Amino acid sequence: MERIHVVSSAAKNPSIIRRSFRRTIFFIIAILAIGSTFEPYNQAQLAVVLIYFIGVLSVTILTGISGQISLGQGALMAVGGYTTALLMTNYSISLWIAVPASIVGAGIAGALLGIAAARLSGPYLAGTTLVIALAIPTIANRFMSVFKGDEGLPVDVGYPPSWFTSLFGEPTYEEWQLYVVLPFAAIALFFASNLLLSRTGRMWKSIRDHETAAALTGVNYSRQKIYVFIIASIFAGLAGALYGLRGLVGPSVYPVALSLTLLTAAVLGGIRSIFGAFIGTVIVVFLPDWIDLVLDNFELSEQVSNFMPALISSLLLILTVVINPAGVAGGHHHKHK
Amino acid sequence: MLKIENLTTSFGSVIALDGVSMTAQESKITTVIGANGAGKSTLLRTISGLESPSAGSITWDGRSIVGLKPEDIVRAGIAHVPEGHAVISELSVEENINMGSLFRRRSHKSDVAASLDEMYQLFPRLQERRKQLAGTLSGGERQMLAISRALVSRPKLLLLDEPSLGLAPLVVEQIIDCVNTLCRSTGLTVLLVEQNANTALGVADHGVLLALGKVVADRPAAELKADSSLRAAYLGY
Amino acid sequence: MDTFLAALFSGTSRGAIYALVALGLVIVWRGAGVVNFAQMGQAMFSTYIASTLIQNGNSYWVGFFVALFAGAALGALLDVLVMRPLSNKKKTELLSSESMRAAIPVIASLGILGVLQALAGIIWAAEERGFPAPAAQEGFTVAGSVMPFTSFDVFVISIVLITLTMTTIFFKKTGVGLAMRATALNQEVARLSGIRTNFTRTLSWAISGAASSLAGLLITPTSNLSPNTLDLVLIIGFTAAVVGGLDSPAGAVLGGFIVGLVISFVTFYLSPEDVFISILAVLLIVLIVKPRGILGGKDSRRV
Repeated sequence: MERIHVVSSAAKNPSIIRRSFRRTIFFIIAILAIGSTFEPYNQAQLAVVLIYFIGVLSVTILTGISGQISLGQGALMAVGGYTTALLMTNYSISLWIAVPASIVGAGIAGALLGIAAARLSGPYLAGTTLVIALAIPTIANRFMSVFKGDEGLPVDVGYPPSWFTSLFGEPTYEEWQLYVVLPFAAIALFFASNLLLSRTGRMWKSIRDHETAAALTGVNYSRQKIYVFIIASIFAGLAGALYGLRGLVGPSVYPVALSLTLLTAAVLGGIRSIFGAFIGTVIVVFLPDWIDLVLDNFELSEQVSNFMPALISSLLLILTVVINPAGVAGGHHHKHK
Repeated sequence: MLKIENLTTSFGSVIALDGVSMTAQESKITTVIGANGAGKSTLLRTISGLESPSAGSITWDGRSIVGLKPEDIVRAGIAHVPEGHAVISELSVEENINMGSLFRRRSHKSDVAASLDEMYQLFPRLQERRKQLAGTLSGGERQMLAISRALVSRPKLLLLDEPSLGLAPLVVEQIIDCVNTLCRSTGLTVLLVEQNANTALGVADHGVLLALGKVVADRPAAELKADSSLRAAYLGY
Repeated sequence: MDTFLAALFSGTSRGAIYALVALGLVIVWRGAGVVNFAQMGQAMFSTYIASTLIQNGNSYWVGFFVALFAGAALGALLDVLVMRPLSNKKKTELLSSESMRAAIPVIASLGILGVLQALAGIIWAAEERGFPAPAAQEGFTVAGSVMPFTSFDVFVISIVLITLTMTTIFFKKTGVGLAMRATALNQEVARLSGIRTNFTRTLSWAISGAASSLAGLLITPTSNLSPNTLDLVLIIGFTAAVVGGLDSPAGAVLGGFIVGLVISFVTFYLSPEDVFISILAVLLIVLIVKPRGILGGKDSRRV
């Protein structure tokens, strides 16, 4: 039986761990450095970038590496978010425990999704996951007492602990967001990097590239597909939990468009690499503001400017797929076999 | 007349045709023989437009056809019967044949029905099964069907890719005889690719021996057939 | 008994529309190998065009036929601008993977959906509009009691049946129909037969576009028109196509009616809120028990 060698096979290959570690450290330093120069508004956006980054990684792993297309990652984010909110609100559990617990919840949901999805591919898979993503508001409304329907559950991220404030001084609300999200993002990056470089990652790529051939070589691809879903859901659940920490968990926080946004980010940046995931996330999060900046030069009605960001990102998606499907990071990245 | 000069077709780093030059004389049967992987199918596929050559020229009736789409090459009078899956299993026999004459429905309305009848005369078995799905036909019948589909487009050049593949010798004989008769009676130019060199050289006027994408011999069929050293070296018997 | 009849009629009427949506999906799937997630976006767009014409004083039928034409034109445009360049791409490393080649058109169609919805917002704002129906929406009065069956329902069912009949005849009896089927089944043999496969693929998109516009026109009177109203219809249509068999036009029709009836009975006997979950349930059941759909062929891809 094939096991997931996220760390263990990497452990057999210490250079993988070293590489991942280096990338992670570089990442942390870069984010901290850039973040300290930002205005609070942009710091909050950077926090969102980090959160989305984790979510986009789930798409990269699922679609870029194992070739399964899911339009339901937003739904898995919602699972993570709701779990965190319920644990923190109803049971007063600290976020540092609630968030990891949500990951477990999302993993279970991912397992279920994976079992249903393992037999599907292409449009069947996409359509089914889309239906599931659309089911979130319905479920929230159906079990109003628990999930509070459209209103959602508020989340209180609390204040930084005293040992922190005595060391680093009192952070602003936005800075604190960043500091909370960053360690999780770094851990996510570390694991993703290990995964992609490891033997498991290569096996998943073989499933993506030659499903029939991989089956013939004895890879139990049905089971592997489920494992990929579980791993990807863990990333999505983490992202969802962190996203909910911003204050609210509800259907409006995790709309269908969220799944599409994650997919767009992954494709735009480069669906096959972590670097691509990051670039795509940056584009998607900052694009509306950039567009507004440009559009301010023109006198446009509110009607037009409301929908411009959506129009442009959809156009970008089409153009990317038609002209350069490998995305921004695609052509330049060194080839992983 | 079909004239090929210095034709080169490659797939990535694999060179399937390497500077092939040959002609297919009008109203004659030219056969292209050679071992597996010699490039015979690629040759036909390049002529019919399914593959693009990286170098060389193909001239048909005085005009160059390199770069034309397959649909247009058919309209120019070249019909290609590819090896293997040359019929559409989910369509009926009659639908399969009619596929070949669709593009003539406006220009040669009256001939379309006539051409269908001719095929039924030529291959009575197809007429018996006209409403059946092509997938239910035997191998030989499917080959007849594929050839019919090509013939109703009223080609001047017929490209036949390994018609004998997977068929019993008796059936192969019937089909080759049929093609031979067609050529002699209607003046159809035939370019016949075959692994079964013996049979092919038996009906052909001219033979081209291909090995690893290159032309090794280009001679009257009778000569090729008689040359035992060549046969042993390249065809293994 | 009343409830049952009401559910039955309503389900049949809506089912007819879902059959249309499913049929549109199947036509593009069979004709071009793509599941067009943008389909209802196209429908929404053409319905907006119709709505604008009607609001400006034209008759319903002018709007109706312009919308059909616009739907066909839009479909053809999408094929020429997006889908054809997509399939002509040279094989890069990314595209040599089976699943990426399947995923990319899906992503492209999602992009198209986004563009259409954003454009609709820009042109017409996201305001909800009403949309007229050409026939009365009250029930018939028979023997003194009001039937749960309106003349609009009759209109819908007749139009759908006419469309289905015409489509069947078109595909089975005409040369163009044969060309389209051939292109869908084996593009190479089709090309070698002289069929202009690019054209037939674009035609598939155009016909599908018209069919989905028709569906949009028929379903909008009972809801409102805004850029997102038809999202749910896409999901239902997709489920209907999967239930019936993505490869089978007859299956699409069957699936449409099945799903329509399921939704209708759930709405009448349980609650409207359970509709979505029941759709999901139906989808999952079919995918687990018979992934190719009721009328789809056997799944031959087992290794």
